[in-house]
Amino acid sequence: MEAETTLSGFSASEWIKNQFSNVIRVSNVAPKHVGFVMDGNRRYAKKMDIEVKEGHEAGYMSMSKVLELCYQAGVETATVFAFSIENFKRSSQEVDNLMQLARERIRQLADKGELAEKYGIRVKVIGDLTLLPKDIYKEVKRTIDQTKNNTRATLNICFPYTGREEMFHSVKELISADVPVDGINESSLEEHLYTGDSPPLDLLVRTSGVSRLSDFMLWQASNKGVVIELIDCLWPEFGPLSMAWILLKFAFRKSFFVKHELKDEVEDNDELMEALPEDKKHL
Amino acid sequence: MNSEKIVENARLLAGEDVNVSTNRIPPPEASFMKHPSKLKALQAVAHLTAAERDQNIKTPKNNAFWNQEMGKIQYFICKTLLVGMYLVFGLFRYLQYEYNRMKLRIWNVIYNPSNTPQLIRQDVTKLNKIPRRLAAILEMKSVGSVGGGVKGLMNDGSEVACWTVSAGIKHLILYDFDGILKKNVLEFKQEIKTKLSRYFGPSNVPKFALRIPHKNKVYFSNDDTHKISLEISLLSNRDGRQTIVDLTKTMAELTKSEELQLQDITMKLMDKELTQLVGPEPDLLLYFGPSLDLQGFPPWHLRLTEFHWEQDNDQVTYSIFIRGLHKYSSCKINVGK
Repeated sequence: MEAETTLSGFSASEWIKNQFSNVIRVSNVAPKHVGFVMDGNRRYAKKMDIEVKEGHEAGYMSMSKVLELCYQAGVETATVFAFSIENFKRSSQEVDNLMQLARERIRQLADKGELAEKYGIRVKVIGDLTLLPKDIYKEVKRTIDQTKNNTRATLNICFPYTGREEMFHSVKELISADVPVDGINESSLEEHLYTGDSPPLDLLVRTSGVSRLSDFMLWQASNKGVVIELIDCLWPEFGPLSMAWILLKFAFRKSFFVKHELKDEVEDNDELMEALPEDKKHL
Repeated sequence: MNSEKIVENARLLAGEDVNVSTNRIPPPEASFMKHPSKLKALQAVAHLTAAERDQNIKTPKNNAFWNQEMGKIQYFICKTLLVGMYLVFGLFRYLQYEYNRMKLRIWNVIYNPSNTPQLIRQDVTKLNKIPRRLAAILEMKSVGSVGGGVKGLMNDGSEVACWTVSAGIKHLILYDFDGILKKNVLEFKQEIKTKLSRYFGPSNVPKFALRIPHKNKVYFSNDDTHKISLEISLLSNRDGRQTIVDLTKTMAELTKSEELQLQDITMKLMDKELTQLVGPEPDLLLYFGPSLDLQGFPPWHLRLTEFHWEQDNDQVTYSIFIRGLHKYSSCKINVGK
């Protein structure tokens, strides 16, 4: 299927995708920052009776397609949960596999003609990088340096990450930076989070029907107004089509809410009431 | 959409030299924007469409999405499509909304506690596990609507408290963004008492305690402080991020006066402090609004909390409560594994 789309170059599905993302883009209410918890790769492998490694591969394919759609539709920053600090508890075989896979994929992202180059994406790896094995850390560092001049969009890969560790890291950094106590407030804490230079989170997508945050972006997602979408399908099955639906839903809601607020303002405005024709005043 | 913004964006895009593809064409629209004239506009659009097609033939592999500057016509088509999509989606949403409301109404008939704790107990004993700590996010509706205002909020809160006691859960967290329940704690206590006596009869009202962690105060239902069947913590936005800020400030001061070493600040310490300042993490969080919005709930305390809400619901009803418990009893938490 992959080969087919690259060969024809301008296949029907690609054309529809481009048109759709254009439409979302002109709505002007596309989310600026989207977070993904890519859950269900192992369950998918079990279900399809394939190896766990292949399940993770399928998850990567799904991720790149979904991200492509997001960036086209006007998303500036995407944050994906690739590896939790808690995942180190898994069997060493699987941890090794995951590390190798992540290394390959992170390198591949920055390769010629791949996602990062195509859309001008700056790849950032966030989390407690000191926990990574040395060789992987080097590889990650190289990719970050390679893409650091891209400015169109950002991809944050959480690897290895937990939301509590992020908050803790921010707190500790503020304290050790010797900031005057008066300078400590919500926004300064926010700036020191790993996602400090990204726009505020608008939308969080979690697959596999689990309704928990599982230690992902706790600070950002608990904010008022963040839309949380919990989808009951495994991540490799979550394709661009599902994402398109979510984007449309998000845009629809945002457009509707803006209108709603405006209406309230008008109602409060006495001058406007006077300007209305006589018969409409008593509606 | 204001065209100024498009212009600005276009200029920004034009100014940047991002190496997206080697055969990048200068955005024709930019030249049109500088010297607006009708002929030029036509040229620009024509150039745009022609150039675009051209480019796609040359580099079939490179979809170079960012390179396409959107022409006026394309922009108009997109807007029309957007309106069409909104219409279809709106129709779908309307049907979905009606369907969801119908579902909720049916549930409300099926799950009806009718003020009897025995019925609730019966519903709960079927479950193989129940949460140790339950949290609920409540919202104050506007004063004019049914069940709105402070009275409505207190009514909802006391209702949830009654269900929680009946289900045999010992800890309840009630969260409202503005902290209205906290401000009216004495009235709220009275309200809960009245509700409980309606459930359990006036002679054996269960004892409870209202805690306000932020002020470090506890209000007991009776003078007797023993054998409390329910502890309710009242939280607000203040207990969320701001408390973490306060903790940071305190720790910063302590390190400055060298009472606390930097290496002693650990995740464990922070967890301990925040548990003291706010309380432990809830196992299940109920939200009684139409779509999940955590409203600034303390972020540290959301790590593994299970959420439950029903789409398009806007009432505090027992069916949400019991369905949340059902969901919790069947969920499997495996940290990291």
